[in-house]
Parts: sequence; C-alpha cells; structure tokens
Amino acid sequence: MALVAAVAFGVLAVAGARQLFPGTPAYAGLLAGLVALVLVLRWFSRRFAWLMPWYYLLPSIVFLLTFTFFPVLLTVGLAFSDYAGIRNGELNPTTEVQVVAVDGTSLTVADPLRLDCEDLRDGCNGVRAVVYASGEVEAEAVAVDGATLTLAEPPPAGRQVATVMLYLPDIGFDLEVRVVAQDGAELTLQRAPPSAPELGTIKLTLDRQPVQVRIVEERGDVMVLSAPLPEGLEAESMARYNDFGFVGLRNFRTIAAQASNALFPVFGWNVAFAFLTVIINVAAGVFLAVLLNNKSLRFRNLYRTLLIVPWALPSVITIQVWRGFLNQNFGVINRLLALLDVGSEPINWLGNHLAAKGALLVVNLWLGLPFMLTATLGALAAIPDEVYEAARVDGANAWQSFWGVTGPMLRSALVPVTLSSFAFNFNNFNLIFLLNDGGPPVPWGTATARGTDILISWAYNEAFRSQGGYAYGLGSAISLIIFVITLAVSLMNFRVTGALKDEGNR
Amino acid sequence: MRRGSSLHYLSIVAVAVLVVLGIYWIVATAPEPVLRDRMLVIPGGWKRFLGVFALACGGVAAIAYLYGLATRPLRAGRYALTMGTHVFMWVVILLVFYPVVYLLAVSFNENNTLATALPRVGNLLVRAGVIPDPADVSTVQYLKVTQEFHVLWYQVALFALLVLAVLGIVYVGLRVRYGGMVPGRADAWRGRLGWLIAGTAAVLVVSVTPDQFYGLTADGRRLPASIGGMVPLYIRNTLLVSGTTGLLAVALATPAGYAFSRLKFQGRYSTLLTFVFVQMFPTFMTLVAVFYLMSRLDLLNTFTGLILAYSGGAIAFSTWIFKGYIDSLSPALEESAMVDGATRFGAFLRVVLPVSIPMLLFIFLNQFIGTYSEFILANTLLVGQERWTVGVGLRNFTTNQFATQWGAMAAASVLGSIPILVIFYSFQNSLTGQHTAGGVKG
Repeated sequence: MALVAAVAFGVLAVAGARQLFPGTPAYAGLLAGLVALVLVLRWFSRRFAWLMPWYYLLPSIVFLLTFTFFPVLLTVGLAFSDYAGIRNGELNPTTEVQVVAVDGTSLTVADPLRLDCEDLRDGCNGVRAVVYASGEVEAEAVAVDGATLTLAEPPPAGRQVATVMLYLPDIGFDLEVRVVAQDGAELTLQRAPPSAPELGTIKLTLDRQPVQVRIVEERGDVMVLSAPLPEGLEAESMARYNDFGFVGLRNFRTIAAQASNALFPVFGWNVAFAFLTVIINVAAGVFLAVLLNNKSLRFRNLYRTLLIVPWALPSVITIQVWRGFLNQNFGVINRLLALLDVGSEPINWLGNHLAAKGALLVVNLWLGLPFMLTATLGALAAIPDEVYEAARVDGANAWQSFWGVTGPMLRSALVPVTLSSFAFNFNNFNLIFLLNDGGPPVPWGTATARGTDILISWAYNEAFRSQGGYAYGLGSAISLIIFVITLAVSLMNFRVTGALKDEGNR
Repeated sequence: MRRGSSLHYLSIVAVAVLVVLGIYWIVATAPEPVLRDRMLVIPGGWKRFLGVFALACGGVAAIAYLYGLATRPLRAGRYALTMGTHVFMWVVILLVFYPVVYLLAVSFNENNTLATALPRVGNLLVRAGVIPDPADVSTVQYLKVTQEFHVLWYQVALFALLVLAVLGIVYVGLRVRYGGMVPGRADAWRGRLGWLIAGTAAVLVVSVTPDQFYGLTADGRRLPASIGGMVPLYIRNTLLVSGTTGLLAVALATPAGYAFSRLKFQGRYSTLLTFVFVQMFPTFMTLVAVFYLMSRLDLLNTFTGLILAYSGGAIAFSTWIFKGYIDSLSPALEESAMVDGATRFGAFLRVVLPVSIPMLLFIFLNQFIGTYSEFILANTLLVGQERWTVGVGLRNFTTNQFATQWGAMAAASVLGSIPILVIFYSFQNSLTGQHTAGGVKG
C-alpha cells in the first residue's frame, strides 16, 4: 500500500515538476517516490508494530521489484509487442509533412507517403501525432514603454508570441515587429516602434505550436484526428510518433518461421556448448583435484595457488586477449601448432564454425578450470579420513577406494556445482560475444544467428544490432524462451540440492 | 639388493644419463625449421615433442622409483607416482600460465602490431614468434596508454600513498615470517593499512575526471585522447561502478539477511522463496526491459543507471549469503545488548554488524569482482566513450584490428587486471572458499 502511494507520488511529482521546470529528468520521480515512501512508512510504523520486520527487507525489496522483478514483467510484456528501433515510442521528426487543408477533424496532407506509416502495425490508424500549428489572435494592448509592450491579459498559456502587428497612425502603416522575450503579459519587442503606435486591439501571431493529437483514421491523403484543433490555430504540418503496441504472438510466429535457420541450430549449439563445457571442465577439475588431494604431495598449496590464476584475472579482459592469441595468421596458438607441425595449414580458429566451437570450449576450460578445481578440492576435503580408513580395513586397494568412496561422495557434492555451472554457461554471453561475436556466419544461419551464437547472444543481436533491425520486441520474445529453460534448470537444482527444504520447516 | 647400496645410486645415475642422452639425440637430430605460411615449422615436430615429453616423464618417474627402492622399498611405487604428478602439474601450470606470461611479454614489447614479421635471429622460440623478441623489450606500450592523461599533483601523492601502504602490508607479512612479529600485532597493522588502501583508492578513483583526458589544440579546441590514452579513465570508471555497486549490495543485503535469519514474521518463507526465485533471472536476461526502463528514466549513459541495473542482481545472492552467516552466529549476542536497553535495530547496527565485518568484506569484494567483469549491460547502457568500462573499452581495440593496437591492448589488459588480481590473491581463501560453499548450498 505504501509502495503504491510512493509510486503514485513519484509520478505525480515528476508531472508537477515538469510543469514548473520543463527540464526535470524522469529519475527525479525515483527520488520523490523514495522520500514519500520514508515519510509514509514512519507514520505506519507508529500505527502497526507488526510491520517492523518488513522495514529491514524494504530497501532490498524496493530494489528487487524495480530493477529485477519489474524488468522481468516488462520483458514478458514487450515480447508481445512490436517495440523496435523504428517503433521506439519517440516522435519521428523526419515524417513531418505539410498540411494543405483543414476541415474540422480532417487534415489533408501534401504527401501521405512522407508519414511513412508502412512500418507501423496498422498504417496510420491509431497513431499518435503532433500537429504544428500557428495562429493569429487579437489582444488588447494597454501600454508601450520603449521596446516593452504590455497586454491587458497574457496570451493563452504556453503559447509563444512570434510577432505583433502595430498600427502607427503618425506614419500611417502597419508595422510587424518580432517579439524577442515574453514574460506574462509583457512582451519585449525586437526594437522600439519609431513612433507611438495605436493601442487597443492589435494582432498577435502565435509561434509554431505542437499540438498532441491521435490519428483515428487514414483516408488517402486525409487524416482524421480524434479531436479538432484548438480555436485560432492553423495547422502547418504534422509528424507522427514511432508508436509501438501489442501484436499478440507475432514475434513467436517470426521465431517459428525461421526455426530451421535460427532457433534449432542456435538452441542445439547452446545446449551442446553448455553440456560439453561442463563435462570437460568437471573431468579436468576432478582429475587435477584428485592428484592434488594427495597429502604427501609437496607444494600442493603452491600448485593450487598458481592454477587459480585465470580465475583471478577479469574474464572480460582475458577473453578479448584470447581473441588475439587465436588469430589465424599471427596468433600465438597457430604459431605453436605450426612449430610442432600439427596440421598442414593454420587453423582458422575464428573463421571456421567448427574450429570456433573448439576454441570456445578450450578457452572456457582455461577460464573455468580454477573454479572446478577449487570446488572439487573443497568437496574432497569434506570427506572424512575415517571413511578411507574403513575402506582400507575392509581390504580395498587405492583404485577400489577411489571408485567406492571418493566417487560417490564427490558426486553428491558436485551435482549442485555442475547444475549451476550449466545454468551459467547456458547464458555465457561474455565468452560467446567477446571471443568471436557469435561468428562466423554460416550458410544455414541468419544475419543474427550465426555459427556460434547462443540464445542470449541471438536475442542481443536481434535487439541491439543493426542487422537485427533493433527488434526489441523480438529480442524479448527470445529472452522469454530462455526464461523458461533457465527456470527448469534452476528448479531441478533446488530439487536436487534441497537448498530450501529446511527453511520451510522453520 | 641391500637397501641404499651403491648399485642403486649407480642405476639412478645411469638412467639419468640415458634420459639426457635420449633427449639430446631427439633434439640434435631434428631437421632444420622451415618457413611455411609465414610460420616456422619443424617438420614432424610433434613426434619429437612427444618423445621428449615421454622420456622426461618416464625418466623422472624411473629415477624416483629407483630412489624409493634405495630408501624405502615399500613406497617406491608411490614415489614414482608422486614425482610423475609433479611433472604433470608443472606441465599443466605451464599451459595455464603460458597465455598470461605471453600477454605480459607482449605488453613489455615495443612492437605494437600483431602482424610484425618474425625475427630472423635468436632462439628457436623467438624466431617462431611463440615468445616475443627479448631484443625489443621496452615500456613504450605503458607510456602510450598513460601519457595522454594529465595527472594532478595530489593524484600522484595519493597514488604514492597507495603504493606505500601496499608495500607496508608486504613488509608486515615479511616481518611475521622472518622478523618474529607477533601475529596479533601484524593483523592489527594489516587492518589499519587495509583501511588506508581502501580509503586512498576511493579518493583517487573519485578525484579522476574525464576532463583530464582532453588536450587543447593550438587554437583552443578540446581534443580527446586516443583510444589507448583513455585506458586509465576506463579503469577508473570500472572501479567507480564496481565499488558503488559493492557498497550498495552490502547496504541492501545486510538488513534483509538479518531479518530473514533472526526475525519471525508472517510471510518470511514466501518472501525468501521470492528472493531466490528472482535471483534465477540475471539482469542481462531482461536486457531489453532494463534498456527501456533506463531510457524512460533518462538514465541511459549514466553510471547511476548502470549501478541501479546491477543492484537488482546483487541483492539476492548477497542476502542469501549474509542470512547463512547470521544463522551461524549466536543470538545471545544481540539479546544481551537488547537486555541492556538497545532496540533491535540498534543491536543490529552496533553489535551484529561489527562482528560480521569479514562477511561484509566478502559480500563487497564478491560483488566488486563480479561487476568488474560484467560486459553486456555496460555495453548496452553506456554509449559515450567517456563512460566506458574496461571491458567495453578493450572491445574497441579488438574490433579495430589488432594490426595496429596489439601492444597497447596488452598493456591496457595488464593494467586493467591488476586491481582484481591483487584483491583476489589478498583474499584468496575467503573468495574461493565462500564461493564454492555458496555453490554447494545452491
């Protein structure tokens, strides 16, 4: 309830502040909402003591709702919309077109093609637009003092007066003077009139005013507006907004239509990548950890500390450095392979999709091995020595005690690590994007779903790249598919680990 | 044979000589390297490499076995296995470290292009281009990325203080090991110096402004630094964003974690479940929505917007970890304070928080490191070059061809990695330990 009040107050505060100071940024609403929230809550805490625990949670709940939960809901909403770069909700100034005739709510435009409504859902129907209008009004002037003209009452609110027409009886003609500043009923003229003008009724020309309208119907070159323009304004031109709206399942139909070029290959590689990388990393990690767990091995702590170094370097940097190492003609990897005479020609690591897939797995092994090694060592350290002791007493040799004791106990400890590692690598955008940018292009793929793109990088390409046409809605739809998969994996993780089981019984 | 007889030692020497001779033979009979596709090739090199590798491993294991026979015959097999493990470990370490060392070498090399022709003279490895030419060692790459930065005198002073404090910690460590310093006193000094480092670094980061990366041309126009010259600014931006996000995570997660652990109230379990549930959707998955939200809030291309976007993802994990930590503390701690008349919130602030400083530090550092490596949100929300983070800035090098900027990029990578490397190894046990514990927990 308090939250609702705060949100409402934030919105109202911004709307109000925008009236007073037009430049107010929208995030001021967040601040205003926060202040309101604190005040409302202080009052509430006096009235209802049982609310107290929620005060500890409130800051994090507010942040979670605003920056995690709300975006999730928004993603679901946007997935069913045609939000895109060319339909971004902003005014589109390049669509400005001359208005040649006005008849009540019907505006005839010079060139309807300029409005360019083909990109929108339903032509120009239902689109918000701006009509730029100017007009002449008559007003009562009461005094002239030098270049300052005072009117009986200020011009209509929010209107800029462009010029005034003054009749100079001494000279006998009408003088049109530009207005350089306007403060309520006082207008500052560009220059003082050369002789005393006639006061009383004078003509004011109002500047180009934007009037917000909505086009309800498009009839050839006639646009029918939802409401007539205000009195005394003459429409000059109009421009439309880049409106977007609800399109139902169209985004999902688009995905289904190119399923064999994009969805299936991308999904297949995504699952294969996550699986293979987890299997390779776990195998290597367990192997090294079992070797390092040998208590009679000297320097084992030194080895562990040294092997951890890829974890200690920011992956966002190291991945990009690997890109240089994998260069076909000058990269150090190919030079090493050439020196050892492996293969008859340099491997095009980043240009051949199979080689690129291999390179991704190798680099991810380098990046992920320290974590797997540490996790496995931790799990091994948790196995009590007595169990091995008991196995030895029962006559098991080293090999048997490894498969009979270490293996089963490791498995139960490593399953959660494996599952969370799978979930992480399933969405490992950094590696895919920074190492090879999802490339290389493959003949069966599309411009946005290339040889090594995974779902999340495909969504990114659709939404934030020119080759995807900045199709934000389509990107959201792909994100929705990822949600479902991630949710399934995570639920499985909870079920396996029982992480929350004991919490429920408290 | 008698244990430790001279025959044992003789056989050890014989094996060693055989191995050395074998390796020498393999290397000496190798054909002359030839150039192919602009790369140096030893024909059949992999066979010789495998041969040397097998001989070395086998030799070491055999010598260890023989040594074991000579000293403790029952454990001879184990000796061989252990020595073999050592050799294997060093090979793995070599493989893991090679990219790091190579990067470091490139950054200290005067060649700035990846496509530099291979040197004609020198060691085989140098001629093959697998280690940079030691003849070209220079610090020019580091100068290139730092010289366009107009440093102010107090920033130099702060930096000097920072370096001194780091050296101080190293000195304390050495005193403990060799000078007989009492561990308790050493910890107190480490704590003081640690706070000094954190404070100095924070002031230094905040004091750097983008204006320091502009030069003035002769006719008075502002001229931005080159891509490489902006690198210190990228690092500063990343540190600023990561630090603020870390602080925000601590500030938001501690009260929530405390309430989940200690307070009993209706809806506790379902709220906890919601936190865990929400955590499953990393912020970058809702990228489009976050982008839309930030553009509506006029927060695109601001650090505030980026930090707020990160905060959503930062809360759930940190809350969960802090809740687990409070669970492990005894409630008697606050209860005694509350008996003395403190309110619950007062007890939380003055009793619980000071006790949990190591945990707060972990939450901060974990968030700091995670945010430092974040790319996708930073790349989407930050448009202006002045606000780029390290990852986004480096991306500009890689998309603009290594051919011209390879050395500078290596220097930038090394500089950008240092903060995280230092933090990681300073807090290695807590960072790696908690991480895997968290993983095991879910």
